[in-house]
Order: sequence, then C-alpha cells, then structure tokens
Amino acid sequence: MTIALTSSPMQHGQLETNRLMLLVIAACLPGVGIGTWFFGYGIIINITLAVLAAMVLEAMLLTLRKRDLKFYLSDNSALVTAVLFGIAMPPGSPWWLVLAGIAFAIVIGKHAYGGLGQNAFNPAMCGYLFLLLSFPLQMTSWHIPSDAIVDAANFSPLGWQGLRQSMLLSFPFLAADAATVQATIDGLAMATPLIESKMAAQNALLTARDTDLPLFARSSDTGWEMVNIGYLLGGLLLLYKRIISWHIPVSIIGTVTLLSLLMYAPGSTSIVGTTYLHLFGSATMIGAFFIATDPVSAATSNLGRIVYGIIIGVSIYTIRVWGSYVDSIAIAVLFGNFCAPLLDHYLRPRVYGHQRAPLLGEKRRTG
Amino acid sequence: MNQLQHSRKIARKLRAHRIFGGIKPLALKARSLRSRIMPTPIPEMLILPLLQHQGSPAAPIVNVGDQVLKYQLLAAAEGPLSVPVHAPTSGEIAAITDAPVPGHGKQSQRCILLRADGVDNAIGLLLLPDHRALSHWQLLERVNAAGICGLGGAGFPTAEKLRSSIERGIELLIINGAECEPYISADEALIRERAAAVVSGAEILQSICLADRCVIAIEQDKHDALKQLRHSLESSSVELLELPTKYPIGGEKQIIQAVTGLEVPHDALPMDIGVLVQNAGTAYAVHDAITEGKPCISRITTLTGTPLQTPKNFEALIGTPVSFMFELCGIEESRHTGSIMGGSLMGLELVRTDVPLIKTSNCLIAKSRAEFPEAKPEQACIRCGFCATACPARLLPQQLYAYSRNQNLEQLEQLNLADCIECGACDYVCPSHIPLVQYYRASKQAISSRDQQRQLSAHWQRRFQFHQYRLKKEADGLQEEERAHRIAPEAAHQARGFSRDKARQEIAAAVERVATRRRNTIASSRESD
Amino acid sequence: MTYPLVDWVSIQALLWLLGLSTLIVLGLKIWRWLRQQRVQQRSVVDRVNYLLPQTQCGQCGYPGCLPYAREICRGESINKCPPGGTETIVRLAKLLNRAPSPLNPAHGEFKSFAVAAIREAECVGCTKCIQACPIDAIIGGSKLMHTVIEKECSGCDLCVEPCPVDCIDMLAISSPATFEWTLPSTVIGAYSKLDSAL
Repeated sequence: MTIALTSSPMQHGQLETNRLMLLVIAACLPGVGIGTWFFGYGIIINITLAVLAAMVLEAMLLTLRKRDLKFYLSDNSALVTAVLFGIAMPPGSPWWLVLAGIAFAIVIGKHAYGGLGQNAFNPAMCGYLFLLLSFPLQMTSWHIPSDAIVDAANFSPLGWQGLRQSMLLSFPFLAADAATVQATIDGLAMATPLIESKMAAQNALLTARDTDLPLFARSSDTGWEMVNIGYLLGGLLLLYKRIISWHIPVSIIGTVTLLSLLMYAPGSTSIVGTTYLHLFGSATMIGAFFIATDPVSAATSNLGRIVYGIIIGVSIYTIRVWGSYVDSIAIAVLFGNFCAPLLDHYLRPRVYGHQRAPLLGEKRRTG
Repeated sequence: MNQLQHSRKIARKLRAHRIFGGIKPLALKARSLRSRIMPTPIPEMLILPLLQHQGSPAAPIVNVGDQVLKYQLLAAAEGPLSVPVHAPTSGEIAAITDAPVPGHGKQSQRCILLRADGVDNAIGLLLLPDHRALSHWQLLERVNAAGICGLGGAGFPTAEKLRSSIERGIELLIINGAECEPYISADEALIRERAAAVVSGAEILQSICLADRCVIAIEQDKHDALKQLRHSLESSSVELLELPTKYPIGGEKQIIQAVTGLEVPHDALPMDIGVLVQNAGTAYAVHDAITEGKPCISRITTLTGTPLQTPKNFEALIGTPVSFMFELCGIEESRHTGSIMGGSLMGLELVRTDVPLIKTSNCLIAKSRAEFPEAKPEQACIRCGFCATACPARLLPQQLYAYSRNQNLEQLEQLNLADCIECGACDYVCPSHIPLVQYYRASKQAISSRDQQRQLSAHWQRRFQFHQYRLKKEADGLQEEERAHRIAPEAAHQARGFSRDKARQEIAAAVERVATRRRNTIASSRESD
Repeated sequence: MTYPLVDWVSIQALLWLLGLSTLIVLGLKIWRWLRQQRVQQRSVVDRVNYLLPQTQCGQCGYPGCLPYAREICRGESINKCPPGGTETIVRLAKLLNRAPSPLNPAHGEFKSFAVAAIREAECVGCTKCIQACPIDAIIGGSKLMHTVIEKECSGCDLCVEPCPVDCIDMLAISSPATFEWTLPSTVIGAYSKLDSAL
C-alpha cells in the first residue's frame, strides 16, 4: 500500500513570494512619489512603460518556455524588475530606450538564465547597464520639466505644462514638428549633482550643498536629497517587515560613508565629493535598499552579505571617483553579483555543534 | 574539550541563552487548555504495539485468550534497547498480530490486541518504601521495569539513557517543559495541574543520574504552569528557568543551548558534555513508577483542531484508537480532512485513524481545510534567505535545497545535511512553498543508501581480492607440493648429513663386520670341537 | 586652507598595503589548501575503481572491476558495466571528462540487484558454481549440497551458467519495509541529471 504522505511541517507562514514582491513595490512608493513631486511625470511614465512591456515580454517568454502562464506571472517578479528599472531610468527618456532596456532585462537578464531564481545578475541592472553602454548620451542626461522653455507663471512639473513636457520627452512623435522636440530636449537637460561635482564647478556646488541647503524647497536641485530620503524610508519599511536583512544596506552605506569620509579633504582642490553628496546626491539609497538586496542575485549567508555589501560599496565609490561612469550603482551591483556565488561558497556560517564553518575540499570524517 | 571545562561552563552559564535561528509560529494552544485534564473511558479494544520506542520490540509473554489484569506485564523487554509493555486495563488477549500503527516506516507492526472487559481490575501494585532509601541502581531498575520511554516524542528508552548518563557522569539534568511546537499543550496542562508530581519526578531523575543540578526549563508564556511550578519548587533544590517563546527551543540540542549556552558537538551526545535532557511528561511517568509503582499505561495527550467541538487534554490509555479519542471530543466528520500525530511542525500525518495512541503520542490534531489548506505548488526559490535566518542548526537550507534538487550528495554532506533536525522552521518561513524538509529527508535517505552501497562494494572488493589471493596461493601451493615430492627425500637426508657414498661405505662396513663375526664364531666353534 | 589630519594620499597608500597583505594571506591559504588537496588525491585507477560497482561479474570482458578500471584509464570505453548502469557511466564520464554514452548492450543490460539462490534439493554437488564465484560466496563440498551466502553475494550471475542442472536462480532482494521519502514530484524528470546527461 503506497500512500502519498505529506512531509511535516503542515503549518506554514503567511508571507508568500508574490506578496513579498508587492511589498517591495509598495516600499518604492515614497521615493517614486517624491521623485514625481520634484521631477515631474517622467518617472511614472518610465515605470508604466516598463511594467507594461515587462508583463507582455514575460508572458511571451513563459509561453515560449512552455511554463504555466498564470502561475508564473502571478509571482510578480517581472513587476518588481520593471518598477526598479523604471525608477533607475532618467526621467524623460524616450519610449524606445525604456522598451529596449526592459526587453534586455527580461529576455537576457532573466529568462536566458532560466527565469526567476536562476538569474545570476540583477535583471533590472542588466538592462540599465546595457543602455548605459549602448546609449551613453541619453542615459547620462536628465530631462526635468521646468520653466526654462515655457514662459508660464506658477510653473509646476505636475501641472499640465509639466505633463506636456514629460510626454514630449518620452514620446517625441506626439509633437507636431521636430523642432519642438529638440527645443524641449535641449532646454530641459540637466545633470545629476554627482555629474556636476565631477565635471565642473566642484567647489561652488559643494560649498552650496554644505552650507545653505534649502532642503524642503521644491527645486530640482534639492530634489535628489528628498528622493533619497524617500527610498531610505521605503528601505526602513522593508527592514521592519523583515523582507530584507540589514546586512547588505548597512554594509553598503557604511562603506560609502567611510570611504567618502576618509577621502574628503575640505578645501583641497582634489575634492571627490562629501559624504552627504555620496549618500544623498545620487542613487545610493535605492541601490543599497532595493537593488543590491535583490535576493536572487545577492549573497545569502549573513557574513557573505556583509562582504557583498562592502564589495558593492567600494565599487560604487571607486567608480564614481576614479572611473569614467558616474552613476555607478548598476555596475557596482553587477560586480557584487559576480562575487555572490563565490561568497556563498566560502562564507558559510559555522553549523551548530561544529568547531568551524565547512570549507571547500575538506575531507569529511566517515564512519 | 574535557569534562571539567564543560562543568565549569555549565555552572557559570545557567541562564536563558539565545538559540540560533528559530521562528514564532501561531501557538494555538489556548483552545485545548480551557478545560482540565480528563481521563479517557476504556475503549472496547486496545491495540498495544510491541515497538513504541526507539530500539527493538518487546517480546510478548502472554498468549491469545489469556485473561490479564490492569498493570500486568504483557511483553517483556528483549535486548538492551527495549522497553516492556503493560496492560492498560483488564481484559482478554484477543490476538497477537500485525496491526496498523502510526509511523512513517512500517505501516503495520506486531501488536497485542486487548479486549477490555470494562471491569478494570488491577493487580496489586508493589508499594515501595520511601524511594529515597533506594540506591540509584534500584531506582533505575524500577524505571526500566515500568516501561518508560521518552514521552516527549522521540521515544528513547529512558532507563537506557539514564544508565549511560550515569556512566558518563552528568552535571546538569534539564527537565524539558518548553513544548515549543504549536497546538501541543500536554506538558503545559500536566505542569499546571500536577506540578508537584513533575517536580518529584525531576528529583527522582536527578537522584538516579546523580546530576549536580536540575533545571526545569519552560517557555515564559506558560503563565499558569509557571505559577504552579514556582509554588512547588519552593522547598526543592530543583531550579526553574524561563525560556523565550520560540520554536524549536524544545528540541534537545536547542534546549541545551538555551539553558547552558553550550552546543552538543555534531559527533557526540548531550551526555558527552555532561547534560541530560528529560521531558516533563517522562518525569511525571517516573514519579508514578517510583512512588506508586504504576507502570506506564497512560499519558497526557492533547486533542485539538477545529473539527473537534471540545478540544482538551486527556489522560489517555496507551493503545486507545485515535478515532475513539476524536469521538470523545465530538468530531465533526464533515470538516475533518486528515489527522496529525504530534505537532503541526514536526508531527506525522496519519493516513488512517484506527491506529492506536502510543507512548510517544503527545498530540492528536484533527485537520480541517480552513486550518490546514492543501499544499500550494512549489514556486521558484528566490534565495531570500529567510530559511537560513530561521534554521536552528545554522545550516544554509537554500543551498541544501539546490544541491538536493541536483542530488549532489557530496556537497550535501559538506554542508552538513546530517545536522538537520527536520524541525521544519525553514519550510514554515519559505515564501515559495517549497517542501524543504521533504527534500532533506529524501536526500538523507539517498546518502544513507549510497553509503550502504559503498560498504557493500568495498566488502565485495575485499572478498574478490581474497579470492584471487586464495587462487594464487592454491596454484602456488600445488607447485610447491609437486616440487616437494620430488626433492623431499634428498633434502631430508641432507638435513641429517646423509650421503649415498657414505651410506654405501657404512653398509659395506656393516656387512664386513657381520662376516667377520660369523667367521670368528665358526672358528671358535671349531676350536671347541 | 585647512588640511585634514591625514592626507588622503597616505590613506590610499594604507589601503594598498592592507589590500596587499590580505592578498598575501589569502594566497598562503590557497597554497596550503592546494597542497592538502594533492596529498588527498588518489590515483585515477583507484578513483575509477571506486566508482565501479565491484560485483566482479566480468561482463565488461575483464576479470574483475580493477582490471576494467585499469583499461578504462588506458582508453577503454566506459559503457561496458551493466550492473553499474547509467549512474556509473555518468559518474565515470564526469570524473574522466568524457562524453557519457548509453550502456553497450553487447555486455548485457542493467538489472535490479538480485542474489543467487540454489534450489538445494536439486543440487548435485558438482562444485562448479563454487569455482565460478569470484568472491567465494558459495559454500559446499564435493558431492554434497551447496548453498549461497545471501549476505555476501554480489549478484554477478557467474554461477548460473556453469551449473549442470540449472538449479541456481537469481532472486530480487525484497527491500526492507521502510518508508522512503521521495523528492517532491516537480523535481522528478525535470531535473534528473542522469536523464539529461544521456
């Protein structure tokens, strides 16, 4: 008599993968909201485009791979990839750029490796890096709706003028003539604070940021800090909900803080950015809390996570300061992903009742 | 680490320590704790398996048709790891046959079927003088005769555990009342209502195993039980330790870590570090056996689950069918979808309810669809690491899972799969519904069957080598023998300093001597004539 | 102009030093590990022999498993061991970095483990099976009944052929009635390495 017995345990926890993914998206919302408030509808357009494309692509690939569509689509993993990718994209990117990036992320970054759980690299960052290498110009200039080209009183990025500018930037074919588009693009281009600090006007910018910062004023200059604080809050929510462990964000932020403190020489000409600029002037927070913590491609043991975070932190700082790319989160995270399997293999915790952690090649005593 | 160092550590470190990992599942114990412990009525037929413990089965000493009395010995221990079985009530031995029993292993086992006569006549119990006057070997003998095995669920023969502990020398006896698993409230109810007996059992156990200290460890959310225990412990040397509420703090290795801060080495037993753990229920059974002379014929068992109208704790006779127990609680058959023996995290699923309650059954859960929905399909592992955080052995369940899927047994051994206690914490927290424990169980079996195969192979190889050696020796031996036949006389002669020429000369000399003598004789006779 | 307590160039130098020393320590560790590995390494023949099932049946055409292992190391194909089956072939292929190939049917086919049993009433005591047994698992004297020590039999089949009265059967061992956990069904088929390797 053979009976299909269920193995214990019969009781299970409440948290499920699809809910977990939704919680990650929910934790992104403060940052996205603040970003929209400061930079206009560009982020939302990016996210919407990416989500739609990701769902369609995911469905197509699952069909090609002969997987159950409903079951696999409902794990919401493509949704998270798309949202993170949309956030990472510069607002005002043209639609084809977003589509190309998310297609690379889902097709190559995720399904070419065997789908959810098998991808060695963070898919969203794969897509982002693909764009960064292929379209460096579009990827390093941020277009933010402003009153630079429209002569309007009480201009708001969230007003209809702002919406029109954002739409024009994302969908240039909507414009009546090419000249309008060109004017919009040229007129609204701006650099991220880090680019500014790297390329020009270092002293001026840093002094301004260090001294009298209108933190809560609504200007695209201070928007960065607020956006980062938004993602920090979201990250704290994830930590509170125990969806991510503290090891990765703490070690990344700690490493960046430490390095920027060590390397900062006030008043000297070889300024490489204040700690404040490094933590809040770019995508450090979203990178530390949302992107590097993507569990599939990160290290899994606690010690491994700390080393993984340190590797990413050092890479972020090194690439920003001495490398040629400024937005270094994507490259740093992918570099961390490279190391993750090795870290998993070597940095194993000491098992209960054992003197030390199991090592590779260690002969077990038998009998 | 030697014993002395350990004992120093134990003496120093006795407080609630952190254990690795752990989870906090919904306990759901209150519903069975609303009423007091009830004795069960006597069922019509009792099924008494001969193997209710770890080890070898007991041997029946009664025959079919015999009339037996309550407490009478039905099957005697046979071999070192065996415990006897006694009659829970009076009646007639209906059969000694194979019957279904709970367990993953064999679905049926040798059992004694006892048809109760309902009179419940007992044999006279041998009332003891004060147990304090007895030596610990005498006490141990009584524990052995009472048929007690670990009542917490593992079922290791208690007397055997005590005996080997005495030999090793024990510093600390831990009475495990943690009962961390959801749904089970048997020990809590027992301590709440019979704390004095549990404490007395603990003292007896301490006097048997000669431990320096004895600690009753109990989770801190069991308020009533704690209150009663504190009261009973006022005039006792037994200590009380409150543990944090966390699953699986009641596991043997975990409770040792929680109480002493020490880990049991992976290749050793708790007694090797001077610690002995006994369940609170076992302590109670020992108390009964020593002070009242009662063998182990009943135990406290929790009956719970939403299909039961009145979940409660029973003092149930061993051998009572599970279905009979469920009916006592007013089971709604329409909602009943399955049964679990044990807790919801480590218990085993019962495929039928006509199996008996045995000495290790601390809980019976009637499942309902609402409470225990069907297992959800397995999703992809997203390596979230929740499992590693929950693992009380600090393994890496997610890596073990990956290697289990590939059946990479070498890597699984290297990751210390053998240290997995199958507590199910990883499985509980897994957001992708992966039945991790089942993977580990299958892999453990694959490893052990591979090891068996390897042993066989090595054995065959040795025999083949010997076979070849024998053939060679035989062939060599034949040649040797032939040569020996040819040259043996020669060699023997040589050994004695023999040569043909010399022999010939000697023969000639002898012949000459004889001839001379004869001649002389003839000559002398002629002279005499 | 204020200068920091420590010049950042010196800190860089410090970091370099730290990094270098870490590298040296790591290198030493790896070197020691490699040396340890070399000590533990057994000869290839031994390792191949370890993977073979050791039934000593000779179905590969060699007298015993060790001779076959030697020949494998000299280039003999790895698919000639029927008792080992697919699993052994895949393991050998992995060890020797060769392409796995299906079992060569010329040498027999994979059978589940069975031990020899002599129908003792019919045995005439010719000792032929005793001579055939590669591991001396059959006992008996000339003109007396023989029997197989079931515990020792490797199931090699070699005794069946020589028996003049055909009184030897290969009986499948009834596995002990323990419950076996299987891998959850999603795995079976989809991830079976052995199937996909062939």
